Formats: sequence, structure tokens, C-alpha cells
Amino acid sequence: MMKKIVSDQKITWCPGCFNNVILHSFAKVLSELEAEGKIDLKKVVVVAGIGCHGKIFDYLALSGFNALHGRAIPTAIGIKLANKDLKVIAFVGDGDIYAEGLDHLIHAARYNADIKVFVHNNQNFALTVGQSTPTSEKGYKSKVRPEGEKEEPLNPIALMLTSKASFVARAFVLEKEHLETIMKQAVLHKGFAFVDILQPCIIFHNTADIIKKNVYKIETPKNFEEAFKLALEWDYNLKENFRIPLGIFWREEKETFEEKEGIGEVFWKIKRETNLKEILEKYIV
Amino acid sequence: MKFNVLIGGKAGQGIETASKILAKSLVKLGFYAFTYRDYGSFITGGHNFNVVSFSEKPIYSHNMIFDSAILLDKESYEIHKNEFKENCIIVSDFEIEDKRLVRVDSQEIIKKLNAMQLVKNSILLGSLFKILGLPLDNLLETIKSELTDEKNVEAAKEGFDRVEVKTKISLPRKRGNKVFIDGTSAVGLGAIYYGIDLYFAYPMTPATPLLHFLSSLREKYRIKTIQLENEIAVINASIGANYAGAISMVGTSGGGFDLMAETLSLQGMTEVPLVVYLAQRAGPSTGIPTYTMQADLMAALYSGHGDFSRVVIAPGDAKDAFYKTIEAFYLAYKYGILSIILSDKHLAESYFTFDDFEEPKIKGNRLILEDVKDFKTYEITKDFVPKRTVPELAMVKVNSYEHDEFGFTTEDKEIAKKMQDKRMMKFKILEKEVKEKFEMVRVFGKGENLIISFGSTKGAIIDALDALKDFRFLQVLYISPFPKEIVKKEIEKSKKAIIIENNASGQLGKVIMQNVGIELNEILKYDGRPFTSEEIVFNVRKLTSKSR
Repeated sequence: MMKKIVSDQKITWCPGCFNNVILHSFAKVLSELEAEGKIDLKKVVVVAGIGCHGKIFDYLALSGFNALHGRAIPTAIGIKLANKDLKVIAFVGDGDIYAEGLDHLIHAARYNADIKVFVHNNQNFALTVGQSTPTSEKGYKSKVRPEGEKEEPLNPIALMLTSKASFVARAFVLEKEHLETIMKQAVLHKGFAFVDILQPCIIFHNTADIIKKNVYKIETPKNFEEAFKLALEWDYNLKENFRIPLGIFWREEKETFEEKEGIGEVFWKIKRETNLKEILEKYIV
Repeated sequence: MKFNVLIGGKAGQGIETASKILAKSLVKLGFYAFTYRDYGSFITGGHNFNVVSFSEKPIYSHNMIFDSAILLDKESYEIHKNEFKENCIIVSDFEIEDKRLVRVDSQEIIKKLNAMQLVKNSILLGSLFKILGLPLDNLLETIKSELTDEKNVEAAKEGFDRVEVKTKISLPRKRGNKVFIDGTSAVGLGAIYYGIDLYFAYPMTPATPLLHFLSSLREKYRIKTIQLENEIAVINASIGANYAGAISMVGTSGGGFDLMAETLSLQGMTEVPLVVYLAQRAGPSTGIPTYTMQADLMAALYSGHGDFSRVVIAPGDAKDAFYKTIEAFYLAYKYGILSIILSDKHLAESYFTFDDFEEPKIKGNRLILEDVKDFKTYEITKDFVPKRTVPELAMVKVNSYEHDEFGFTTEDKEIAKKMQDKRMMKFKILEKEVKEKFEMVRVFGKGENLIISFGSTKGAIIDALDALKDFRFLQVLYISPFPKEIVKKEIEKSKKAIIIENNASGQLGKVIMQNVGIELNEILKYDGRPFTSEEIVFNVRKLTSKSR
């Protein structure tokens, strides 16, 4: 059943890489949604940034745009504006979208662009061999900072909440079923959906055990204050005594960017007839 | 006869509108009008001026020696007093010690009509019309079509009645039915003619007027204008939209264009059509934001990493801008290539008069294949021209990474070379079609010597040819692909050849050197102001007498 979603391209992620979990969970979610008649695979477009995560573009037998580092979100916004009938899903990395393309993430949330953003968050730049990203914990050691990262990490969940994202969630690759539930709801969400997927890097930043020990699942809070409080519970540092809430922090339905811009048509289906005389009418003096 | 009118005052006093009304009325009377707009980076208060030039014969530029002036403040007199001809007629509502002044008490009229200060423009325009012996009806008609405040009509009448005819300008025999248009609207209408769906931009002078213009046409043409958080978002959204089947364009100026560079390169690799409107201003960096320059030619030609081809077209006036915008879209969509329409402040914000616009050779076309099976985005076709369809109809994969014919990532050396060859080859096919189908250069005049230039310098050069009968003018419209053979031939058959550019380093000269191998003498201007025809005549004579 899943064969037609996962392509036959050779996987070049490291053996055992948790990116595989994201790939297969996504394929499973899509095939279920298709079986339930909730999605038409021909109308799914995936956009990827650049980094280890971006390889997912090749492994999905779906229409897609392997975009620039940090720019998957505006590319996805353009696709959705051009064809409102498409389900547009952007796979991005933590270096990709919390460093290079952070501006786009904030604004896409603010616009409530009807795209889904899945962040493969391994808390380091894996494809460039392990430098720290904005979500690397303080003290994270890399070749750039052998003595340890000096900056406090960014909290993307809190950031997305204050940016007015209409769907904000966190998932973890080792909680696969939970990840799939969240992915499914994100795909079905009308508007901007953001999922930070904790995906330990088995080569440069293997946080699998420590994260696994500290995660717990939440019920979606009833109000924003509660959601924000939960978002602040974990600051992405990996010190002792911390808990990582997993689940949907916030979900609301509101007007999408495309609706606000009055996009009512699929542009490629419009046949335009233009007439020189009519176009120049106002300019004939 | 060429007549130059200065309208000077403070920003916010309605100079641009007054100048448009004057020029439009003159065109209605059968004249050819050109307007130049000069303004600083301020919204209200600083000194601004416009020049309205007109003649019974076609003209394409302004002069800075004035036959008449409408002054809305005293500062304008101080700034421009050395530019008034001896017999210049100055119209204003204040006292100055100058016998050329015709004073109109606009404050009394404003009080009488209980009108807003802005009607002063209409009063002084009315006075100017009378002074020049022009018919009032004509002015009133334009005022009615351009202004909503009805008091302007009365105001113009009052202004007209309170002065005497001083010099009677003879009217052209043929009236009306000319095209009066600015460079910005012409680009916008070209895009609409081709069938634009979406225009993406982040505000930046002097490209912003296009964002405003297309926004005003959203309902009429079922198009959308989208302003995103920065130029990087803008251009990536545009390429995304085009991938999904839209016809879109982005617009910016130098600084924003720099931010877009990485996506130009993305276009080269993905072969998704991309159209960029680049309206140059005076750089480098923030430069002189509201002034003109042609110094981004090199950026237009070479911005973006890696080897990839592009189309760069430089229209010289509003009429060129209309047709060349259509061509830019056509080439981008047919060849999956980057097309850059290279304009500048002077072209974008000047108004021109033309006898007519011919039916374009090109019709808009999305070039989307609707009957597709096992679609290969990067199929190596016989003529290397890419195929195009949309995600709904097939699995369409486009890739910033090197890829195989389906669009899957590859690092294979043979495929990599094949794909690079495919991308380079399609440009040769494009070049062939452009040579056959479109005007890549244009030659004006019959002299034995040659002036070469591109873009908005065109108008002043054509007007200068009246005094430079021994010169021809070669206007280069396509910078990429470059019309090597024609340019070489034109230079070789000329006794002397010089190049004129509105920049400090002679960028077109470098392109000619690279393509033709000939170094030319150059006349350069780079103070943010456009050339006038008298400057061109003066400098051409100076240069050619030296090299004699």
C-alpha cells in the first residue's frame, strides 16, 4: 500500500537514521488519508529545504520542489497561491528554518498560509558535520565550539504561538504512533500547521535516550495562556530534571492567507483572452 | 519647436498630477509630450520638480532650459533661476523681482471659491494655457477626467481669465488619438497582455509604482498582487507559483535584486520559468534612491552562482517596455528560463507619447501540457526546449540539486554533464528564435558615425540626433542573448563609434568589448540624473573634436 508513496530511490541517510521514521510515518499517514478519501495524492506537493531532511524529496513518489536552504516556506506559499486545490507540505530542517529562513517561518505563521511545515529537528547541522543550530542546547560541543555552545537555544513552540500560528505541535520520532496522529491532524488542518519533530541525529547528536526519558504527552490546552505555559516548560536545553511536552499545543480555525488574498481560482485553469485595444483604452488621448 | 515647462514646488503640492494634466492636455491638442519627474526621498516638504516638454514633432526627452515655469514656492525660483530662458514666462502667485513673472493671485481665487490649497495647480495651469494661447476647454476636459474635486474646473477658469495671451503657440494640425503612457504602466500592461496571474513584490523605489499599478487592476483582470516579508520570499514564492502553473512576475530594484540572487541560480537549475522586473536606481547600496542610473547591467547579467543562461532585455521607452515585457514572458515560459526586464527610474517614471501601438507578435500562453503520462520534467528533448505541466496532472518534480530526467537527485558524472549541456543548448535554440523573431537592436538616423546605448538614454539620444546629423544611433535592446554580429557590423561600418551610458564604469561598453572585442570611447553620466539632448550634443562634439 505504501509502495506508491515511497519512491524506489536509494536511501542515502545514514543506516538507522531517524529521518526514515519521518519518511515512513508520512507515507503511512498519506496512504491512510487516501484510503479514507480525505486526500488525493495527485494533489499533494512536497517542498523540501536543504540539509539531511531535504533528501525526503527524492524518497517520496509525489510531486515536489526541492527548494533552497531556508526557503522552502515561501516556495510552498507560492505553490499554494497558484493552485489552492493542492495540499502543500514543507519538510524543513532546524538549521534550515530556525537559522537561514526564520523570517519566513514567522511570517507564514502570521499570514496563516495554508501550508504544513514539518521540522526535522535534530538540534544540529548534520549534513555539514555537526555545527550547532539555533535549537542546539547550551553546551553542545561541535568543531566550531569544542568547548560547548555558548548561546541559549530558541524555543520554536513559543515562537510559533506568539507568531499566531493556527496549529502548533511537537512530536518525537521514537513515539511513532503519536507522531503519525499529529502529522495526520496537521495535514488535515485548514491553515498554517507547524510540527517540530524531535529527530535525534545518531551520528553527531544522539539525544534519543535523554529525550525519550523526559517526554510526556499532553492534551491540547483549552486556552492560549495554558498553551504558552506548556510551551515554556522545555527550553530545548538538555540539563537535568526537565520534561518535554509532546502533542498539539494550539489549534484554531481562522481565515487563511489565500482566503484573505481572495484567491478563488486555480490559475493554470484560467484561459485569458487579452485584447490590445481594450488594454490601451485608458492611454489613448 | 520644442517647449519646456518647469513645474516646481514642495513635495505634496501636487506637482506630479499637475504635470500629467498639462502633458495630457497638450497631447489631446495634437502635441507630443514627454514628462520628467525629479523628486527626493521625502513625502512632504522638500523641493520637487517636473519638466513637461512638448513639440509638434515626436520627442522623447526633456531639456533643462525652460521656456515657461509654474512655480508653487519661492525656493523653486531660487533653485532654477539660472535655467530660465531670457524670454521665459514664469507663472506664480508670489512676488519676485523678475520682469518675466506673471503673477496670479491664487489665494484670492481660493478664498472666493472656498477651495483647498491644492487647486492652486489648476489655477496656474489655467493661467499658463491663456498665456500660451491654448484653448481652455481642452484643459478643463483633462482636469475633469483626472481630478475628483470639482472646484478645480472653476479654479482653472479663474486662472485663465485673469491673465493675457503673451505668446501664441500654433496648434498641430492633427489632433488626438495618440498613446500617452509611462514606462511603469507599459511594463504592467505588457504583463497583462501576456496573461499574468500573480505579481510578487516588496516595496522598493523605483519598482514600487508597478506594484501599485497592478494592484489597481486586480479586479479588472482577475490578477493578484502579493507583498511578502522580503525580496527573498517574493522571488521564491514566484518560482513556486510558476512551478504550480501560474504566470507571475517579481519586481524590485538593485538592493532587492541582490537578495534575489540565489533564486536566480535556482531558476537556472530547476528550469522553472521566472520573470524579473529590475528597475534600476542610483547605487551602489542605498545610493540616491529616487534617482536614476544604469549601473545594474552587470548584476542583471551575472548575478547568481553557477553556469546558467538568461535573457536580459533593456527597453528604451514605454513602447519598447510594453513589447519587450511580452517577449520576456514568452521566452521565460517557452524555454524555462530567467528573463530580466531591465528598466530604471527614468524610464519607469517618465511619460511618453506615441502615434500608436501595433498588435504584438506574441499571444499569451501557459504552455502547459494537459495530456501527460510518466512526465519527465527534465526530459532531454530533440530541441532541448523543456516540457511543462502542473502537479495536478502528473508527478512533477523540480530540483535545485543536479537531477536526472525525472527530477530525482543525482551526483552521477555523466548525467550531470548531460543536464548541464541540455541547459546550455536550449539557450542556443532560444538565441536563434530571438534573432529570427524579435528586434534585438534598432538603428536611428543615417550618419556615418555611431552612438551606441541601451535603456532609458534612448530618448535624449534620439532627440540629440536632430543636431548630430552625422551620427546614427544603435539602440541595443537585447543584452542577453547579445546581438554580436549586428553590433560588430554597425561599429565596423562607422567612421567613429562612441558609447553613451548612465553609469560610471561603462557597463555596456564592457559587454561590447567581451562580445565584439572592440573598445569604444565613452560618454558617461552618473550623478543620478538622466542625460538631456543638449548634454549629449555637447559631449559628443567635445569627444569627437578631440579624437579628430
